Amino acid sequence: MKSLDGTALRILKIKRNAALESDPVFRGMPAMPKKVDLLTVPKFDYQEVLRDVARSMVRLKRPDRLLKLIIRFIDRQFGLTHASLLVLDPKKGCYVFVNSKGAKRLPVGLVKFDTNHPVVQWFAGSQKKLPIQKDFLFLSDVKKMLSRAEFRMASNSKGDHLLAIQKTMQNLKVELLVPGYFKDTLVGLLMLGRRVNGRCFTTQEVTFFQTLAHDCSMAVKTAEHNQNLIEQNHELERRLQEIERMRSKEQKTYYEIMRSLAEEVHAKEPNIFGHVSEVERLGMMTAREMGIDLSGNTKDLLSAALILHDVGKIGIPDNILCKPGQLTQEEWKVMKTHVEKGARILEPLTDFKRVREIIMAHHERFDGSGYPRGLKGDEISIEARIIAVVDSFHAIVSSRCYREGRSLDSAIQEVRNCSGTQFDPVVVDAFLRALKKELQKKGEIPSVLNEYSEA
Amino acid sequence: MIKKLLIVDDEAEICEFLKSFFEDRDFKVATAHNGIAALEQVERFQPDVVLLDIQMPGMDGLQTLKKMKDTHPKLKVIMVTAVETQEKIEEAMRLGADNYITKPLSLEYLEKDVQDKIDSLAKIS
Repeated sequence: MKSLDGTALRILKIKRNAALESDPVFRGMPAMPKKVDLLTVPKFDYQEVLRDVARSMVRLKRPDRLLKLIIRFIDRQFGLTHASLLVLDPKKGCYVFVNSKGAKRLPVGLVKFDTNHPVVQWFAGSQKKLPIQKDFLFLSDVKKMLSRAEFRMASNSKGDHLLAIQKTMQNLKVELLVPGYFKDTLVGLLMLGRRVNGRCFTTQEVTFFQTLAHDCSMAVKTAEHNQNLIEQNHELERRLQEIERMRSKEQKTYYEIMRSLAEEVHAKEPNIFGHVSEVERLGMMTAREMGIDLSGNTKDLLSAALILHDVGKIGIPDNILCKPGQLTQEEWKVMKTHVEKGARILEPLTDFKRVREIIMAHHERFDGSGYPRGLKGDEISIEARIIAVVDSFHAIVSSRCYREGRSLDSAIQEVRNCSGTQFDPVVVDAFLRALKKELQKKGEIPSVLNEYSEA
Repeated sequence: MIKKLLIVDDEAEICEFLKSFFEDRDFKVATAHNGIAALEQVERFQPDVVLLDIQMPGMDGLQTLKKMKDTHPKLKVIMVTAVETQEKIEEAMRLGADNYITKPLSLEYLEKDVQDKIDSLAKIS
């Protein structure tokens, strides 16, 4: 009786492990009697087990684990020489063993069944032909059929077919074959060895195996489906990253082009060297003085707006852009379009939506008398208000083709005079404070401003 | 005539399964789990046909194949492996492998191929 106790202990151990892993498959098992009589099959509630399997199908994220559980369950519960599962591998186009348990288990990954294998053929086309009550195959039934006179004739294709099946079942030590389908495709095949105690399977048990074979097929299909989804997701993510990488590269190139164009625009206007980089420097200085948080992309955004604010001047004819004298009213109208032109040029830069808005507003005035929309006060973004001040200041201290340059003092005076009308007083204050600090640091007359103070 | 088959695979389960399969077909079967043991068995057991895995710890299947063919050129060696790169197949063929069967395999095909090799030996002798 020692070995019987050993069996009981082993089964109880699985039960305990299963409980630890909280596997729903095992919860339906009845309490094991203390001593197992190998001649009587342990009784348990099939309905309960099936319900649990169905429930775990829904819950289990890894269907391959469910297959393992089902095979282990069958092997242990029924005391078989082996319980194995053959499954269709759509990539290889054949059936392979994915799981096998028991003393006579089959090595996983060694044997395959092609789709034209006699056993596969027997079940593949049979789903419609055979009623569910008969959709399984006992080795004993194969033998019985072969013993009939009609199959003993030499050239009998069904006889040959049955012989091949018998041979395969004997090779693999299989007593019972139970197919599992998904739609009309044979997806899995339960291959069960004989009972160690020599007993036959009951009809109820065969029905139970059929349900499990069906569950296995569902699990296999679910696993395939999940795997496909995961692969598709990876592929999609990879492509998105690639697109994003290309897009950002493209945008960077475009930005570089815009930057050199902006320099080019001002290069056309005589006596205004370094306007682009000076406006950028003064603007950043002012923003810093105002305590604007320049972390993250705020800095890049402001910097881009400062550099590109006049990029629309590319579209202004040279005879207007570089006209030495006063512009006529018509010419002014054209000149003013550089704001919208600049915004339009930057349209392909999807990351530059904010920059476009800033550029659109850099000729708005604080009192609402600016162009193109006549915005006022807070309606004008803070970046645009900064640009308005530093752009004008630098235009005054340097010299444009249409008027003589003025001294640093008068430029400062002009900016101060326009505070509250053309300019935001808060920005003007911050700008002048920052400028003063800079002048103090560099000595009375800073060389950078000195250079531009006299035309 | 006694048909003698040597099965070489580092997976004991595979050796046992194929051993029982061929013993049911009246083969005398020996097994080895690595290249060195396989070469010893070739000397001691004097097999007609060898089923040889490629991926094994220590001496791999291709090195083992080379040594077997050097000392026993008439020995029939069928590679049975999960490795199916063109490079390995070509190398095995160059070293004189008599066939190259990839896992998972069809038992029917394996049985027929082993029998064919036995038959071809019978014809020569």
